[in-house]
Amino acid sequence: MNRRRVVITGAGTINALGNGVAAFLEGLRSGRSGIGELTAFDSRGFRTKYAAQVNDLRAPHWIPAALRRRASRSDMLALHATREALTTASFPALPDDAGIVIGATTGGMFGGEEYFRRKFLDQARTRRSNILATPVSTTVDLLAQLLECGGPRLTVSTACSSGANALGIAADWIRTGVTPVVLCGGSDSLCRMTFSGFNALQALDPAPCRPFDRRRAGLTLGEGSAMFVFEDAEHAAARGAKPLAEFLGYGISADAHHITQPRPDGAGAELATRRALEDSGVGIEEIDYINAHGTATVLNDVIETRALHAVFGVRAAKIPVSSTKSMIGHCLGAAGALEALAGILAIRESFVPPTIGLEEADPECDLDYVTEGARSAKVRSVLSNSYGFGGNNTCIILRAID
Amino acid sequence: MDRNELKAELKRLVIDGLKLEHVTADQIQDNQPIFVEGLGLDSIDALELVVLVEEKYGVAVPDEDVGKQAFQSINSLADFIAASKA
Repeated sequence: MNRRRVVITGAGTINALGNGVAAFLEGLRSGRSGIGELTAFDSRGFRTKYAAQVNDLRAPHWIPAALRRRASRSDMLALHATREALTTASFPALPDDAGIVIGATTGGMFGGEEYFRRKFLDQARTRRSNILATPVSTTVDLLAQLLECGGPRLTVSTACSSGANALGIAADWIRTGVTPVVLCGGSDSLCRMTFSGFNALQALDPAPCRPFDRRRAGLTLGEGSAMFVFEDAEHAAARGAKPLAEFLGYGISADAHHITQPRPDGAGAELATRRALEDSGVGIEEIDYINAHGTATVLNDVIETRALHAVFGVRAAKIPVSSTKSMIGHCLGAAGALEALAGILAIRESFVPPTIGLEEADPECDLDYVTEGARSAKVRSVLSNSYGFGGNNTCIILRAID
Repeated sequence: MDRNELKAELKRLVIDGLKLEHVTADQIQDNQPIFVEGLGLDSIDALELVVLVEEKYGVAVPDEDVGKQAFQSINSLADFIAASKA
């Protein structure tokens, strides 16, 4: 059977590098850091004061006032990115049967924390309805309501691979004929819970994160959203849409090992990569750029490097590998979507984003991490890795439109 | 409390209780419907306002029919509170 091809006809983002794809591209190209001092909440008592925060975040004015007042921080991020994705896709309104699938881990946790802090610590009056947006599933509900989408709707929460899995599911819905158009991506905001959790795990670097550096001491948390319009290639062609890239395939695996640590031998990561290559029908010699999971935790960066050696063999040393988390932080449930967008931009703009902050390479991290700044390169096929807590591994592969 | 004071207090309750930015008391007319386009309030706002009024005035809104009647406007709300406390 001839499988339906999945193309990406729209893309939008908001993250610490700015609001919109143009700002993201400029940041990636210039190797600008979006990491700064956390102001969304008090960072005193934590290992670090750094985060990749979206400043001056507000709910957009195109949504009704009642919904605007209740939108969570994650909702706001998704709304901004969605609007841009629909605009680039030239969809004034999505088809009635369009699906929506979003990767997320914190949802409205930040708003929930604010509510309980005001109510119990400050003994102040606060709106009860502020906790309505707390569940992680409410962002897709809000989008579906606003965009009047009656198709399948799903929230994917598989820790740090949520965003990548959301894209894979969107592609599956299109490939299997469930619906020809899917709004998909990831959205996650900073909140005290994840900040405290990673702090307790001693997984936050006191300094801005340094992926693959021998001095690395953990990640820097970020927030943001990247949203896409995925579309059946024939559907897109029929309406004259111009695709940005093709979503070729993805692979998933589970480490079945530990609640936070990855498998030391990298076998889970390796398996997800092999499955992605197989699903995409792509050989190892075709991959031109790898957007690494590259969290800058001690374990991840070594194990990821190990897995890439295992899959790519001698070719591993020849493929540029970078961690864009060095610029936008680790955006958890949105990370896979944001990094897919970095891959699409690499394809479209013929460059490889750098890994910034990497000065002294770890001897066990011996790949080409693009430390000199963004590099001009012809990029046709991109592998993007996402490895989540609990051993949730997902790799996706994107390709240029020929 | 006289009726005008009560109505002024209710307007403040709507604005402060629901944290409405960009709305001032003199923008709310005594006979204006509270839950239509004007103030941009929806059914969740209504539910929250019912609880705020119940707590503040020690009144009870037993069902939707009573609520719909009582929360039509600032005037009807003042009537409802006055009648409940009489």
